[in-house]
Amino acid sequence: MKKFINDPNKVVDEMLEGFLAAHSDVVEKLPTSRVVVRKGAPFKGKVGLVTGGGSGHKPAFIGYVGDGLVDAVAVGDIFSSPSAQQIYEAIKAVDSGKGVLCMLGNYSGDIMNFDMAVEMARDDGLKVEQVIVNDDVGSAPKDKMENRRGVVGEVILWKVAGAKAKEGASLEELKETAEKTIFNTRSMGVAHTPCTVPTAGEPTFTLGENEMEIGVGHHGEPGVKRMPMKSADETTQMLMEKILEDLPFKSGDEVIVNVNGLGATPLLELYIVYRKVHEILKDSNIKVHRAYVGEYFTSLEMGGFSITLTKLDKELKRLIDAPARAPLFVQM
Amino acid sequence: MQDKISFSQVLGSLKAVLGKLEEKRKELDRLDSPIGDGDHGRTISNAFQKLTPLFESSEEDIGVLLKKVGRTLALSAGAAAGPLYGTAFMEAGKVVEGKKEIDLGDMVKMAQAFEEGIKRRGKAEVGEKTMLDTVHPAVESLKKSLSENLSLEDALKNMKEEAKRGMESTKDLISQRGRSSRLGERTRGHIDPGAASCYYIIEAMVDFLLSS
Repeated sequence: MKKFINDPNKVVDEMLEGFLAAHSDVVEKLPTSRVVVRKGAPFKGKVGLVTGGGSGHKPAFIGYVGDGLVDAVAVGDIFSSPSAQQIYEAIKAVDSGKGVLCMLGNYSGDIMNFDMAVEMARDDGLKVEQVIVNDDVGSAPKDKMENRRGVVGEVILWKVAGAKAKEGASLEELKETAEKTIFNTRSMGVAHTPCTVPTAGEPTFTLGENEMEIGVGHHGEPGVKRMPMKSADETTQMLMEKILEDLPFKSGDEVIVNVNGLGATPLLELYIVYRKVHEILKDSNIKVHRAYVGEYFTSLEMGGFSITLTKLDKELKRLIDAPARAPLFVQM
Repeated sequence: MQDKISFSQVLGSLKAVLGKLEEKRKELDRLDSPIGDGDHGRTISNAFQKLTPLFESSEEDIGVLLKKVGRTLALSAGAAAGPLYGTAFMEAGKVVEGKKEIDLGDMVKMAQAFEEGIKRRGKAEVGEKTMLDTVHPAVESLKKSLSENLSLEDALKNMKEEAKRGMESTKDLISQRGRSSRLGERTRGHIDPGAASCYYIIEAMVDFLLSS
């Protein structure tokens, strides 16, 4: 393992110290818990937005704490859910009396800890709702959607919900829009090189020199199919077929596209991928309203990428276009 | 060995669990790699290390101790292990509140509550390739030992053996819970890491009790 770290057991805390020092104008840490909150929270008249999960996904999750995005993030260890206590404190920190929406990926650890935290907050009399993101087509067949993992769909949701909350929506309205966003979003990933969790010291999986794996999860969970490396166009074609048929996306639809690097794939390659995505969508008469190409939700230094599509309606278009400003996500 | 377990023995057996999980850290990480994300040993060991401050406890009440253990795991340990073991220990603690020592009858009640806690929190059933596949046969074995009037020593030995058998049974099962459930058939042939760590917890407690 070659990494620029000091102590494998301290990577999250030391990363957080650096992050807070660099972005102290926007974010701060709760004094008693590993929770990153937007400075000035809670915001009067606005539903609080909480997310959280394991670390190792920069810029997710904490890079999205900001204006027009989320208000608080409970920070777990690498690839491991934060505790119920952390999530509970995040909820309390951003509640202005208008309620709190928790947004999480579909992982059993996150679900149990959020469940417990939400129970505790409701016991205190707070209004709290949860939505669970499950956009990864590669992680389970369509008839088992409830088993699908949440990946870049979480980023799309934070953007949409952040804009909606800023408009002053109620908790009920916000939840409805959040669920619509999740319902309209599909992702699929591929990897050719694994990542190494610092404390484990060994890669989470191994692939042959000339092999790639379709459907690998954001924590190195094994995918659905291994095969010899293919070109950018062929790989993109495979992923897009799965994504398009799953919703399904149809001629005349308008979408946003996210081509996301998993940590060790350069922008150069991501744009080559996007080139093909754009061509396929054009040929399918699907209009790209906005494209995001870059690193939005990584998996440490994994080599690979994911493609995410969200079908838009008038409301989602307005919300996705709203400006946002966070340490690692700025949209004018 | 006597027919009752004292408060200090319970405390000692919990300390033994911490040592055992630390010792098995790498092995559990390796078990987790083919069907998970390779961090189970680290996660479960870190979760139980959070219990260290509780061992200074002076109040001699097994129920209170176990409830504190549960609360600490549930609230501050995170990951999936925190809420699952947390709920299990809290439930087990509730049925022996006020007790300074416990007999086989108490242990059966605790074990049943422990199992129910896991089922409730994880919404899992036996046979889905989880820690429950270790816990359930262990609980059944304790119940059987009680009905057959076995000594506490024999009951503990049998329970450990059945827990081991249960853990090994997960090798032939297909995962239906948690992260590994997405792999379906590919999980067959691998022991479930959660079932394995659960066995090591039982093994550490039993070995400590038998030797103390």
